[in-house]
This record gives sequence, structure tokens and C-alpha cells, in this order.
Amino acid sequence: MVETATTGSSDVVYEAVGLKKEFDGGKVAALRGVDLQIKQGEFVAIIGPSGCGKSTLLASLGSLDRPSEGTLTYRGQSIPDMADPAAYRAHEIGFIFQAFQLLPTFKVVENVQIPMFEGTLSRSERRERAVELLKSVGLDHRLNHFPSELSGGERQRVAIARSLANGPSVLLADEPTGNLDSNSAQQILELILQLHRDLGMTLVLVTHDLTIAERATRVVSMRDGRIVSDRVSATSTAAI
Amino acid sequence: MTFITIVVRGLLRRPVRTGLTLVGISIGIAAVVALVGLSSGYEKSMTEQLDQIGVDIVVSNMAGGFLPKVFDASLQGKIDKVPGVAKTTTVLMEMQSVEEAPMIMVSGREWGGFTWDKLTVTSGRLPRDGAEHAVVLGRMAAEVLKKKVGDKLQLEAEELPVVGIVDGRGVVENGAVILSLQALQEITDNAGKANFVDVRVKPNSTKEEVSRICGEIKKIFPEGRAVVTGEVVSTSQGFRIARAMSWSTSFLAIVVGVLGVMNTMLMTVFERTHEIGILLAVGWKRRRIVYMVLCESALLGFFGGLIGVALGALGVWVLEHTTGIRGMLEPDLSPKLLLTSVAIAVVVGVISGVYPGWRSSRLSPSVALQA
Ligand SMILES: Nc1ncnc2c1ncn2[C@@H]1O[C@H](COP(=O)(O)OP(=O)(O)OP(=O)(O)O)[C@@H](O)[C@H]1O
Ligand SMILES: [Mg+2]
Repeated sequence: MVETATTGSSDVVYEAVGLKKEFDGGKVAALRGVDLQIKQGEFVAIIGPSGCGKSTLLASLGSLDRPSEGTLTYRGQSIPDMADPAAYRAHEIGFIFQAFQLLPTFKVVENVQIPMFEGTLSRSERRERAVELLKSVGLDHRLNHFPSELSGGERQRVAIARSLANGPSVLLADEPTGNLDSNSAQQILELILQLHRDLGMTLVLVTHDLTIAERATRVVSMRDGRIVSDRVSATSTAAI
Repeated sequence: MTFITIVVRGLLRRPVRTGLTLVGISIGIAAVVALVGLSSGYEKSMTEQLDQIGVDIVVSNMAGGFLPKVFDASLQGKIDKVPGVAKTTTVLMEMQSVEEAPMIMVSGREWGGFTWDKLTVTSGRLPRDGAEHAVVLGRMAAEVLKKKVGDKLQLEAEELPVVGIVDGRGVVENGAVILSLQALQEITDNAGKANFVDVRVKPNSTKEEVSRICGEIKKIFPEGRAVVTGEVVSTSQGFRIARAMSWSTSFLAIVVGVLGVMNTMLMTVFERTHEIGILLAVGWKRRRIVYMVLCESALLGFFGGLIGVALGALGVWVLEHTTGIRGMLEPDLSPKLLLTSVAIAVVVGVISGVYPGWRSSRLSPSVALQA
């Protein structure tokens, strides 16, 4: 849907200018003027204290929430003005949440198929693709379990498989390891990094964990709804 | 997994609530089936009966309650003179509570008139003449009243002997107490009165001729009406009231059904706000979510309709076989009525889903996810 860039260079995926977001009729200012550019294939870690607006920024990027002011584009197209934001969410991006956000009444293999209803696959193709994706995250032995029967790490794998359902080029992850023990956290992180590395996906990841941030190509620090530093990670180039 | 799987999964989330909603809507639909089935059955059997007897035109007073008001029987003589009329006969009909039976048709027929012709005596005999104070009972009426030939039947202030049981090939005739017009006039103090003149036109009369005859009778009897058999029941005041009542009761039942389904769907939507947020977040179009809610409520309606039709048919069957009213009812549960009822239920479901669906589609994904 969005191939041609109308502004900026064509490898700019996101561009935010003066982005603001207020809640409760202006009582809460979650974003107070964010300027940010994210390029194709980058791994951007967003860090900052609790309540500084990280999730709000990510939700704006993912078109889950509308900014109050400023401009925000995805490959040159204004996100808040998209005619079909659902298509953008379904096909262009994959969203991974701290709380997994799986549907409790659907089996693992069904959860992964949910986004595919926005695509053109047939019933059997949907299932096949879901099984394939689950295999790639190492969960093909759990197809017919319900999310409540899985461990946190396994649930996040399902969520990752689901985020890839329609082959997006961007992965937005909001503290994807926040609810996991260090062991599973490490595994989930490796899985996400692998997607970034092997599929060349642009990755925007919110985290509290500085060791995770250190693996990013860029680290954006926020405070009180603003970006206070934006630096290329020193170790990242070596790590990847 | 298909879209329908998702819809069904939504309904099965809360099986008890879904079940109760089904009960609610099915009771509404059962009421529709029973009431409309009974009233249209009544209409149909009345019409068939008149056809059976060979009545082409029924003349009666415009005014009256369930049955039209009486008029002077001398009208018959004037109608006889209308060109095209072959035969006429007068009838005095009453709905009465007779002994055990709460409501039974008492039909006083002019002795020698053609309304007697189609009665087959299954036991006993017909009255000897017009003057004899004796009754014959339709098959069903005999069962309901628990009478046989030789018993006595209390009509108003008089005890009359039951001299015969007859088969009139139809629920109306078989459910009636039949005696001569003269006898009924004397018993009910209606000397010289009747409330129907049944008219048979000359054979092979065209529709135009029949309506011309109706028009001429209307001139002779301005305060009355002359109705062609096929329309006699549907134009009768009593029947119109019965039909209006059955439809308005049905309408109320349907409104209750709508409220029940709407309540359930609203609860579902509120309760699933978070899940709707997930669907929005993974890229489901708002339209698809509205469609999902509408399909759920339409499916509720559909199954409620099926159960309701079954319940309604069962209820009618029970009524039909209940002593007391047995033999008076010949319900008409036509496939058309059953299909219409299911269709009504589906429409009820869809209508009930519109508002909840609209509500759910207006959620913002991030707000819904926080719910
Ligand atoms: N729906 C909302 N209504 C009102 N205020 C909100 C809403 N969502 C977020 N906020 C407020 O906006 C600010 C930024 O919230 P946000 O969730 O973006 O922070 P965060 O950086 O992700 O924090 P954390 O690290 O704890 O997840 C906070 O003060 C929060 O209370
Ligand atoms: Mg957050």
C-alpha cells in the first residue's frame, strides 16, 4: 500500500516531527514534542523511566493511538491520516506486547491465524502458514494448546509468530521480555534479534533493560515525553 | 479455522448466557408460531367449511362482536329474488358456554336448507323436523361434551335430547352443536331472527356475476354486508380482532426477544473490549468486527428461531390435544409460517446486534487493549 515516499529519502521508515500526545483533555502530556527518524533495517531501542511516554510513542507508530499534534509518517505517508489503518497494522507492522495479548479462547495455532483474515490466504493455507511460523519459533509441539496452558516465554513466542502472520517489514515491540524470567527473556530476545538480522526487519523495541538496549544499532532515551538522547550504540555493530 | 469458527467461539464463551438468551428468543418465536398458527388455522378451517357446504356468499350484519348481530330472517325472501341466486338458507349462530365446554359453536339451521346436506350421520339420526327440540353433535363436540345419542344437553334454560352424532368433514362443523333454526330461535328467544344468510349462486357464475350479486344484496341490506366465501373470515370483525391480537402479542414477544439479544450482545461486547482491542491491534478492520458481532447475534437469532418454532409447534400440539378445547382448533402450521418465524428471529438477531456492533467498532485499539 505505501511504496512511494513523498517526503524524505526512500529508506526512511518512520518520521516524527513535533509529535505530541495528551490524555484526559490535556491534563496528561505523554509526548511533548518528539522528533525522530527511523530508517529501513535499523534496530532502535527506546529506553527511559516509567511513564516517560515510551509505550505512547510506540502505539503512535503502530497506529494504535492518534497523536494530538505534530506529524508522523510511515514511508512518507501520514499515519493518522491513513485511509485504511487496519491494513497498515495487518500487513506492514507486527506488534509485540509485554502482556502477550493472545486471545484466550483460541488455540495457539488459531491465534496465529487471526491476522490472516485480513489477507487473501485460503483456510488451509492460513493453517499451513501458522504451523510454519510456530515451527520457526520452536512451538510446533504446542499447536492445539490454549494460551493459558503455556509458559510466559512460550506465549511470547506465539505472539511473535502472530506478529509475522502477514509478513510485515517492521516489528514494534513494547517490553517484550518484561514479563519473563531471565532465561526465557534471553531466548525471546534472541528470537527477535534473529528476525531483525535474518529478515532485515526494522525493529523498534521499548525496554527497561540496558543490556538489551546495548544490542541495538541506536538507543533513544526519553524523559518526560521528550527524547533526551539519541546515540548509535557502541557495542551494537560488534554484536551483530 | 474460518470466520464462522470465530463467531461460534464467541457464543460458546458464555454457554449459560447464550443458552438463556436462546430460551428468551425462542419463547418469543414460539408465541408467534402458536398465535399466528392458531388464528390462521381458524381462518382456514372456517373458509374450508363454507366451501364444503357449498356456500358462495355469506350475508350478515356489519355490526356485532365475535359473531354478527341478528337481523330479521325475512331478509332471506328478498335475497332469493336477486337474479343469479340459486338457493339461500338462514343460520343463527352463537358461541356459548355449554355445560363443561367453555366455548362451543351452537348452530341453528333453517330446516331443509342446504347446510344440512353435507352432514353424515354417524350414529342416531337428524332431527325429525324443524320443530323438534333436539340437537345433533359434531364428532368433536360430542367428545368435548362427553355426550352420546340418548343423552340430554342443557342449552340455555332447556334440556334437549341428543339424537345424533354427525361428521361434517371439518373442524368447525365437527366442533358444533347443531339444531334446527326454529328450535334455537325459540330457546334463545330470537323468534324470526338469524345472523347469517348463506347464499348459493347459480352454477358456473363468473366472478363478476358473484360480485354483482353481492352488490345487489348490499342494496337490499345496507347495514349489512355480503362477502364472498373466500373472504368471509378475513373480513369478519371477530377474526380481524383475533388476528390483530395474535400479531400484536407476537410483536411484543419479538420486542422482548430483541431486548434480550441486545442485552446479551452488549454484555458480550463490553466484556470482550480487551479482545476486540487485540483484534484491532493485529489489523482487523472495524467492519470485520461489526460483522463478527452481527453474525453472532444473527446466529443467536437463527438457533433461537429454530428452537422457538419447535416449541411453538409443540405448544400448539398440546393445546390441540387438551380436552376442553379439543376439536375447536385446527392450527395451520404452514411451512411458510415456520420459515417466516425463523426469518423473523434472524432479523431480530441482526437488529439486536447493530448497536453493540457499532459500539465495539468505535473503540480505540490502545484504549481497548488497556481494558
Ligand atoms: N490512556 C491513558 N489515559 C491517560 N493517561 C495515560 C494513558 N496512557 C498513558 N497515559 C499516561 O501517559 C504517560 C506515558 O505513559 P506510557 O505508557 O507511554 O509510559 P511508559 O514510558 O511506557 O511507561 P512504562 O515504562 O511504565 O511502561 C504516563 O504518565 C501515563 O500515565
Ligand atoms: Mg510502557
